[in-house]
Amino acid sequence: MSRLLQDGGPPGPAPDGKEWKKTSKDVNGHPEEHWILVDVDDGGPSWPARDQMKVLNRDIQRIDGADKVTGAAVYSHDVRLEGMLYGAVLPSSIPQGTYTLDLDAARAIDGVEVAQDIAGGEVRYLGQAIAAVAGITPDHARDGLAALGVELEPGEWALTKEQALAEGAPSIGRRGNRREGRARGDIDSAQSAIEGSAAVVEAEYKLPVQHHVCLETHGVVVDYKGGGEATVYASTQGTFSVSGDAAEILGLKEPDVTALVEHMGGGFGSKFGLDIPGDIACQLSKETGRPVHLLLDRKGEFSMVGNRSAGWQRVKAGCDASGKLLGMQAEIETYGGLGRGSNPGLPYIYDVEAYSRVQASVMMNTDSSRAMRAPGHPQASFAMESVVDELAYEVGVDPLEVRKLNLSDPVYHRQLDRVAAEIGWSLHENKTMPGSGDGWTATGIGFAVATWGGGGRPVCQVEVKISSDGSLAVEVGTQDLGTGVRTYVAAIVAEEFGLSVSDVTPRIGSTRYGAANASGGSVTTACLAPSVKSAAWAARRAFLAKIGAARGVDPGQLSCSGGGVVDHSDEAGGLSWSEACALLPAEGLSERGKWDHKLAGNGVHGAQAAKVEVDLKTGAVQVLEMVAVQDCGLPLNHLALRSQLNGGMIQSLGYALLEERVLDPELGLNLNANMEDYKIPGSMEIPLMKAIVDEDDTRQETIGMAEAAVIPGAAAIANAVFNACGARVRELPLTPDRVLAAMGRI
Amino acid sequence: MDQFELAVPTSLTEAIDFLPAKWDDDGGREAMPLAGGQDLVTVLKEGIHAPDRLVHLKGIADFGGMKAGPAGGLIVGSMSKVAAVAKDQRIRSKWRALAEAAQSVASPQIRNQATLGGNLCQRPRCWYFRTSDAPCLKKGGYECFAYGGKNKYNAIFGGGPSYIVHPSDIAPALQMLGAEVKTQSGVGSRVIPMQDLYTLPADSDVTRETVLGPDELIESVELPALPSGLRTTYMKARERGSFDFALSAVALGVRLDGDKIAECRIVLGGVAPTPWRASAAEELAVGMKNEPEAWASIAKRALEGAEPLSENAYKVPLTEGLIEKAFRRLSMEDV
Repeated sequence: MSRLLQDGGPPGPAPDGKEWKKTSKDVNGHPEEHWILVDVDDGGPSWPARDQMKVLNRDIQRIDGADKVTGAAVYSHDVRLEGMLYGAVLPSSIPQGTYTLDLDAARAIDGVEVAQDIAGGEVRYLGQAIAAVAGITPDHARDGLAALGVELEPGEWALTKEQALAEGAPSIGRRGNRREGRARGDIDSAQSAIEGSAAVVEAEYKLPVQHHVCLETHGVVVDYKGGGEATVYASTQGTFSVSGDAAEILGLKEPDVTALVEHMGGGFGSKFGLDIPGDIACQLSKETGRPVHLLLDRKGEFSMVGNRSAGWQRVKAGCDASGKLLGMQAEIETYGGLGRGSNPGLPYIYDVEAYSRVQASVMMNTDSSRAMRAPGHPQASFAMESVVDELAYEVGVDPLEVRKLNLSDPVYHRQLDRVAAEIGWSLHENKTMPGSGDGWTATGIGFAVATWGGGGRPVCQVEVKISSDGSLAVEVGTQDLGTGVRTYVAAIVAEEFGLSVSDVTPRIGSTRYGAANASGGSVTTACLAPSVKSAAWAARRAFLAKIGAARGVDPGQLSCSGGGVVDHSDEAGGLSWSEACALLPAEGLSERGKWDHKLAGNGVHGAQAAKVEVDLKTGAVQVLEMVAVQDCGLPLNHLALRSQLNGGMIQSLGYALLEERVLDPELGLNLNANMEDYKIPGSMEIPLMKAIVDEDDTRQETIGMAEAAVIPGAAAIANAVFNACGARVRELPLTPDRVLAAMGRI
Repeated sequence: MDQFELAVPTSLTEAIDFLPAKWDDDGGREAMPLAGGQDLVTVLKEGIHAPDRLVHLKGIADFGGMKAGPAGGLIVGSMSKVAAVAKDQRIRSKWRALAEAAQSVASPQIRNQATLGGNLCQRPRCWYFRTSDAPCLKKGGYECFAYGGKNKYNAIFGGGPSYIVHPSDIAPALQMLGAEVKTQSGVGSRVIPMQDLYTLPADSDVTRETVLGPDELIESVELPALPSGLRTTYMKARERGSFDFALSAVALGVRLDGDKIAECRIVLGGVAPTPWRASAAEELAVGMKNEPEAWASIAKRALEGAEPLSENAYKVPLTEGLIEKAFRRLSMEDV
């Protein structure tokens, strides 16, 4: 539609996704100015203004939710194949030493098809996989393990720092059991700043090993029957991280091994690559030429697939009378078993003028720690937020104000004020000194903040396909960790075409589709969403070009809106979606999209507050309420975002109050490798939770935030316990024994 | 779990015939009764027992019902589900501590499956007992590893040579209520007062927790009518509210005469290998004015003589606090 320029302004309001543009046209040798309608994002894909969005930036029910809650969703654990064997793995019950076993005894059992020695006679850590068998039922596999008659010969081991550093300790790391990290900062200026402080806190903070506790344990089902192809049903955070290793073990070429991740039951950073059970499953399958189902049992899950590293932090810090942090000295140790463990370092987030720190890891005979949702950050947060809190009460200044005083980024001020308002800080009585309750219980409030990157990079290859029968599909090999990826992949395409989410078929979780990033570091949204958007944008333009050609209309006059195609050159014009698709050639159309940096951002904050009730008689802590305020750039699906925040708060509540791996260092035993003694929160632990997406973050960019959500909760809860009753607990979890001890009752 | 034969008797006599008349030599169990399976199956899966035969009790008629007992009492069949005990209106109004104890057991799913008799006969939860990798005293081994090990959840009273705590929530409540169990075995039936059902590790075979013989089954639990005015409650401290065994627990009964305590019954759970009667505290309480200062001194007396291990000294103030809270609940609420 072009109109003569008459009064100097556009002829009327532009339809959704369109804008008026002035153009000059030669009419009878005279230039004449016209207004024409063009696409808003003619120059390339861009996210629509938030108030223009019809599908995104709202609550979107996850499209596989019903399948998941009814059990219709098929996880790797649920895969059953003809001729499939069930594998089982024997974890070592000693932390270090040697062993012998009788594979033939297992093989002699009718129904046990294969038995393998996995560790070659040497044990390096408690729970290490030492043997594996596969049988025609899970019971046959277990019988096979029992028949191995494993004889263990323990050597010297180290399960504690003291054992690891003692004279005559076993050599665990190649360069010794204690590995020094780089020192940072300047010790002289830190010391003199602390000396000149109005208040000084010196304390030690201890963190336990926290497990991922994926409800679906680690493992795969390998569909291999000899021949030149295989399929791996993998419970993984990286669809494309599996095939290479599987192919190598099976003696195939990588493209001949398909990895499928239709649904997966939690990873939290612990599920990348083929991994130990996948590796073993492929070996068992290779030897038998039969499909093998091998997902760890719970004991194996608690023994060999990693955890959040334990740690110890000694901090000395000082502030002036206003609470301004002047100096900090920190010693940090991480305990990551055979691995290094993690801690991003102190000071963490807060500005400290002068600091110094030294960092080391001490190795022990347990499985290597792995990435776990914001690796190292909750550990650093617990120490840093406790120190800031302790100093605030030392100088008698509101700990909320002390936080803001030491955070230069105004986003934190906004978010802290919001969580404080939501949790009722202004009406709370004891702000500058802890309360004492009524002799039976006491209520307190605590705060903490978070930080994360969550940016993306060009890796995802997304394809959008439209068929002449009206079907619209989007394909990319990415995996949905339970975060709602499948839903927003469809929703972005739906938004682009003016359709509903249910009009779009998302196909994900297969190496047969386009490449995608592995989901670690909260990068998936920023990697994937821009690529989906670009593919959808390209597909829409190609689609309208075809429709325009078929109708003899300039495609610029067409738009996808309201479930069909609108023709702006024709007042009565318009086609339903199926009428429009029927104009496509028989082969339909397909477009790919590339990642576009303009669509993604990087860097999030986050603040949380917790309100607790401490039972002064028993030391029991009940979290009454938690509030999280989280920025994330452009919110794609508010419902999924709030779910991430709720999950983060619950996981940090478990870290704060319940979760802790317990080893007996003398006997060399893991005492709570089960879900009874290793306690994660249940329904009775869940507080009133307010998950708030920070809509003052106006960045029109997608950014991941899921890891930020798990960082501040534990520190906020510990600070709330102090605020309630003056019990400063410097070791997690805050079980009644520790709270009573901090109250001076023991 | 090894293979076993499953016997499904239809009468108590038949069930007893399926069970061994004598303990076998190694302290193991050649045949074991199966009720709700909530404890037994976990024990089998860990390989702690490997019986040749399980005797399933669910087919036995009249084993799970409740009926009025003599003189206002109530007879509760031992196959009654824990959930049924928790919600029975008679129990809730007259033997409230029992209803509260049953309600505090595990999770809703487990309460719906677990039985009263099974709850009373469950094996210890000590993590050294529960792992087949530790040959502890309770499994016929040579040492109580909790004594010098990770003993946060273990006994502060009555320990030695084993330091388990009895895991039942229901047992302390029943003992406080003066209940008795009626049993049947190959040699006949007997009535055992709750305070005589359990044994301390030092007093008999350390691999067992009760006086029951290998073919002796609890048929029913008999609740006596309580003295008029005796109000009861059960309070339990645990790390995880959703489902957890007790760090410590108290079953309390108090009868007032004006503002004075006329009768006091205190049985502790989670602190000893058996439910633990705090007799000295009960005696101290009688005649005291019912007020917080008195509760605190009664609680202190109840914990006198506790012998904490390296990691469970917290159970002393925790249990004291729990007793005070229980007195407060009985004083504040219409219990």
